[in-house]
Amino acid sequence: MTDDIDYEIDADNLPKRMKKRPLGAPSVIVDDVHITYRVFGARKGSTTQTKTPLLNRAISLGRPDTGPITEVRAVRGVSFVARHGESIGIVGTNGSGKSTLLRAIAGLLPPTKGRVFVSGEPALLGVNAALLPRLTGERNITIGGLALGLSMRQVREHTPEVAEFAELGDFLYLPMSSYSSGMGSRLRFAISTMQTPDILMIDEALATGDASFRKKSTERIEQIRDNAGTVFFVSHSLASIRVMCTRVLWIDKGLLVADGDVDEVCDAYDAFVKGRTGASAGANLT
Amino acid sequence: MTDPKPGVALAPRLTSEEAEALARQSSLRQMGVRPPLGHYIRALWGRRSFIWNLSSSRAYVRNQGSYLGQAWTVLRPILDAATMIIIFGFVFHGSAPGIQNRAAFIVIGSFAYGLFQGIVMAGIGSIRNDLQLIRSHQFPRAVVPLASVMTETVLFGPIMIAMVVLVVLTGFLPDMGGPVYPHWSWLLLPVAAALLAMFSAGVALFFARLGARTPDIANVVPFFLSLGRFASGATFSIAGLTAAGSWFRPLLLYQPVQVFLELFRSVFGNEPLTPMSPGLWLLAAVYAVGVFVIGFLFFWGAEESYGRD
Repeated sequence: MTDDIDYEIDADNLPKRMKKRPLGAPSVIVDDVHITYRVFGARKGSTTQTKTPLLNRAISLGRPDTGPITEVRAVRGVSFVARHGESIGIVGTNGSGKSTLLRAIAGLLPPTKGRVFVSGEPALLGVNAALLPRLTGERNITIGGLALGLSMRQVREHTPEVAEFAELGDFLYLPMSSYSSGMGSRLRFAISTMQTPDILMIDEALATGDASFRKKSTERIEQIRDNAGTVFFVSHSLASIRVMCTRVLWIDKGLLVADGDVDEVCDAYDAFVKGRTGASAGANLT
Repeated sequence: MTDPKPGVALAPRLTSEEAEALARQSSLRQMGVRPPLGHYIRALWGRRSFIWNLSSSRAYVRNQGSYLGQAWTVLRPILDAATMIIIFGFVFHGSAPGIQNRAAFIVIGSFAYGLFQGIVMAGIGSIRNDLQLIRSHQFPRAVVPLASVMTETVLFGPIMIAMVVLVVLTGFLPDMGGPVYPHWSWLLLPVAAALLAMFSAGVALFFARLGARTPDIANVVPFFLSLGRFASGATFSIAGLTAAGSWFRPLLLYQPVQVFLELFRSVFGNEPLTPMSPGLWLLAAVYAVGVFVIGFLFFWGAEESYGRD
């Protein structure tokens, strides 16, 4: 889902530290959410389930080289309550289920079990939002805007602004497949910030493009963050979590292991990451 | 591997009942539940410009990357029809007893069936093909299959013109009998196409739900579609070739796709054996509306699950 690359932000590009705002009414309630993925044709090995149900074995007969349908339990029973005015960071090692959880809160990935209650229409701001690669940038702005729920008139009003923000120049009229990866993510970022939602989810969006664009996008996020009710922020950069957030959730292997004040949890997480040898195995397979 | 042991206490965890009570008290809305039908249809109507834009963009990129580009939209069905004319028009002379212009008969059947086939195939893969879009934004999921259906329907516009031209040209083929003269009823062609598109959209929505969770469906359906091509008499006359007393004759004659092909042929009005009748239009309209409603309801029934792997 996310490219889990350790992005570290230049210190001078960081926004001003988030002031604690008075907490309001609950805006997001996550109640015992589980998310399980099905993976077709995973290779046989120690990670796949050992006791295969008969049906799965029958299904796998046609694919002798691959294992049965494997279930990946990406999120395993996470519960918390977020309030208006809170800015919540989500930390965890690669593959711990952060992005999956974020998508579930945004209503984009239906939870396998459990419930999510929200106050408004949550929006996921990310550089991973997919667009149609064979269409021009201009056409993609239209489709992205309409997908965000804007009307055709609003989209037309915003198009020049988005194009200017993404700094595409004449590439705006070329298919997105001809863009460099930086241009593509700049455009995706610009499209996803067309609207200020009540609940904002940011997935590694600070790490987009070169230094100058990063500064610009950070300012834009700050602006949106101040207007949004509740902000969720997934990042590997503890420095940006510390300035952006007032509260941190630490997810490990799909479980919520810590939930509290930003500095306390960040310190504990930092100590854990430094003391760890080797990469994380990610989610548990069942 | 060390287990994380943070010195931070977890916030007290609410039970499910407490969470629900708190949600109700602060008037929160549950995510990922199927919206009521009325809301859903209204939300879908609100996204009509999204459907339109998505489908026209798709139509635009369809044939990029080939030298002839968009011309393939029209060339492909023409080549399909030409194959069928060679086999069922010239080789098998008895494929349509009583029909004077077999070539025109085949062109109409083949083109009309092509619309049905195109829409159904577009529907099956629609959710899987646009998974990234579905996982990035919140919108009524029926937008995705309906946009695919719309793409095929819009592309049928130029195909329909090619069909009319081809039907007229068949009048000049040697050995094929009667010339084809323009008729006022040709103006009803877009209406017949719209009814067929509506019917096919219902089938497409039905398979879109199945294909979303079970990609294997996309491998099975082509077999049913080629079976359907023969069971609907796209290239030969069912009425002329099935024995009068057999039990499957009425089944084949009144199955929806055959009714739509019959409707297309009656609109051209060049054969005395395929007359236009109000009953035929009524039957086609009932099939179109009925199947569309069933397909739509079936798709809506799993609304909350699209996007899950």
